[in-house]
Amino acid sequence: MDFGRSADEQAFADEVRAFLRAHPPESFPADGTDAGYGSGAHSRAFLRALGERGWLSLSWPREYGGQAQPMAYRLLLLEELAAAGAPFGPLPGCLQVADSIIQHGSDTLRREILPQVARGEATFWQGYSEPGAGSDLLALETRARLEGEQWILDGRKIWSSHAGVATYGTVLARTDPASTRRRGLTMLMVDNRLPGMDVRPIRSLTGEVYHYEVFMDSVRVPRDWVMGKPGEGFAQLLHGLDTDRFWGRFYKAPFLERILALLVEYANTTPRDGGVLADDASVRRRLAQAATDIAALRALFRRAAWLIERELPATGPVSAAKLMADELGQRVLSLGMELLGPYGVLRAGSRWVRLRGEIQHQYQTSWGHTLAGGTSEIQRTTIAVRALDLPAEPRVRG
Amino acid sequence: MDLALSPAQQLLQQSARTLLPRRCPPERVQALALDPRGFDADLWKEIATLGWPGLLIAPQQGGSGGTVGDAVVLAEELGHACVPSPFIGSAIIATTALSAAGGRRAAALLPRLALGERLCALAVLEEAGRLAPDAMALRVEAPGRLTGRKLFVADAHAATDVIVLGRGAAGPTAVLLPMDRGGIEAHPLESMTGDKLFELTFRDVETGPDDVLGEPGAGFTLLAPAYRLGALARSAEMVGSAQRVLDLCLSHARVRRQGGRPIGGYQAVQHACADMFRDVESARWLVWETAWKLEAGRPDAHAAVATAKVYAADAALRVARRGHQVMGAIGYCEEHPLHLLHKRILAASLDAGDAALHLDTVARSIGLRDKSKGPLLKS
Repeated sequence: MDFGRSADEQAFADEVRAFLRAHPPESFPADGTDAGYGSGAHSRAFLRALGERGWLSLSWPREYGGQAQPMAYRLLLLEELAAAGAPFGPLPGCLQVADSIIQHGSDTLRREILPQVARGEATFWQGYSEPGAGSDLLALETRARLEGEQWILDGRKIWSSHAGVATYGTVLARTDPASTRRRGLTMLMVDNRLPGMDVRPIRSLTGEVYHYEVFMDSVRVPRDWVMGKPGEGFAQLLHGLDTDRFWGRFYKAPFLERILALLVEYANTTPRDGGVLADDASVRRRLAQAATDIAALRALFRRAAWLIERELPATGPVSAAKLMADELGQRVLSLGMELLGPYGVLRAGSRWVRLRGEIQHQYQTSWGHTLAGGTSEIQRTTIAVRALDLPAEPRVRG
Repeated sequence: MDLALSPAQQLLQQSARTLLPRRCPPERVQALALDPRGFDADLWKEIATLGWPGLLIAPQQGGSGGTVGDAVVLAEELGHACVPSPFIGSAIIATTALSAAGGRRAAALLPRLALGERLCALAVLEEAGRLAPDAMALRVEAPGRLTGRKLFVADAHAATDVIVLGRGAAGPTAVLLPMDRGGIEAHPLESMTGDKLFELTFRDVETGPDDVLGEPGAGFTLLAPAYRLGALARSAEMVGSAQRVLDLCLSHARVRRQGGRPIGGYQAVQHACADMFRDVESARWLVWETAWKLEAGRPDAHAAVATAKVYAADAALRVARRGHQVMGAIGYCEEHPLHLLHKRILAASLDAGDAALHLDTVARSIGLRDKSKGPLLKS
């Protein structure tokens, strides 16, 4: 087995690091919140800088302006960005949507949208969840009907990340009114600037806006702004689910390593009982324990990456890694809060704040991670039924 | 990155999966556990004909010169089948130390270990129960006489030779002694894991300069890499045992019906199994990543072994405890294999450095400042 990087891969990683040294992450203005997954804030300026280097289209086929590099390069890029705490917030989602457009999009979508993604200009929100369709996504009620060359889209989506600062949304809508559950759904690409779109912020418990509620009132979407075929939206969704979960989380391991390094530095330099906090055996042990958990998380994500790259069944490892990433994240940040003691609750900018207030912020965001992208309960059920071949729980009708 | 087994490793895995369940079914494991002198000499011979004891021995000394990864494959299969054997102690730890030591005695013993004719035990721990230089009091002088004792010596009843680590004039010193050297006695300890552990007493045991392994005073330096490999193998063994616990639970949950349907159809049970899967998979790939680091000679390999050992033990013990919950009362019976797996995991978690020892190494590797001196595995 070989967990290593090739010489070319290492050279690319070095190039990314050199770029980050020359362009420190804090020099890019943020236009959206850091949701704590490890991808940092939403910053178009940063995305554009990556786009200028051709890094947003690294793994696309050459015919779409890409460099046809293997998936390993995209992994390296995101890993290095996360380790540096760079503001690449929406990037993993953009790359996912771009992949879908390349594989399943119409020629119009490829022509219109891919170049914008490559330049760092287009970002996306996901229109899946609705007020009445959370873990039971198929209960969704958003509808679209074809009228001539346009879909007329009506409905309401919620918990859509960055929808207020993004350019397009991928919206799952029922297009066959007679259908139920997984049939008759279509994945539409919707331009935020279309008439009838109303994107309203939802303030999170951190005091910031990350999620939005999106109201769509007779929004006219061009007929070929469809991902996959009409009526096959569920297949689109399912196809992307494992990879969404993977690309939405795998940089959490380097992120948690960065957080752990902050805590280690804090323990080494914080006076305690005539020595420092790091002299306390229980502090040492708990930080070391966290390090072992993070190492295992990283290894599990590597396994998942390897399976995805080879297009092998990856549902079990991907869901397990997502589950582990989010629960471990809560534990690591909770440990951080404990080490900081009374200083832990101080916000960024407060007098006497420690570690720039990052721990309390990420601690709060971590509460939502075990809900977003499929709750931990959904992940466990997915692992049990789809990877471990246990019988599905019967659906309650009515 | 390539996370596939090599063709040779696939063959090794296949032969283990063919032999072990047939030759060492749970009833056999159970019988060996209940017998205070239990040791399956015939199984060891059979294992020897497959070349496993010589896996890590160089070809010119009668072995097959295998890799760290090969050892991980076998350790995982031994764990899955829950085979009680001196493989990790003798064929991994002692063998690695002997190979590194060189010299006439080691050169004479290694080919016979490869053939399975001889077995080598390790007498290192003392009353402190810690695998650390300052936890050893036994004086070793060669030439001289050895008087004192060692604890938790595994498989002393089956071993023909023993490596003894003690304090010499020049520092920690290892000697290789035949078990039938006058004055050595093995007194069984009664362990709930089914492992055969002994107190080894030495009374005026004669030692010569020829008995010294490696350089006098360099005993820790010699044994540390061997124990590191042993710690990784124990981690792989725990992964194998934990996988088996999960296999048993899944088979049970698919067929055991309560309330009109299989219990595996209830979320409470599904979620327990999902957690077990997460624990087994994450531990497995951490172990493999560590094996690669050792093979590639990466500078962080030492810390990686400590990390893997701590995590694998945590994860596998969680799986074992959760397994009891899924299996229900049947898993509490002596005749059911679950407790054997749980106990095998427990034994492995304590061998080749326990959590306290390895966490100390991890703590230093992540940059926590420390004034105390390092344990054995750090050197």
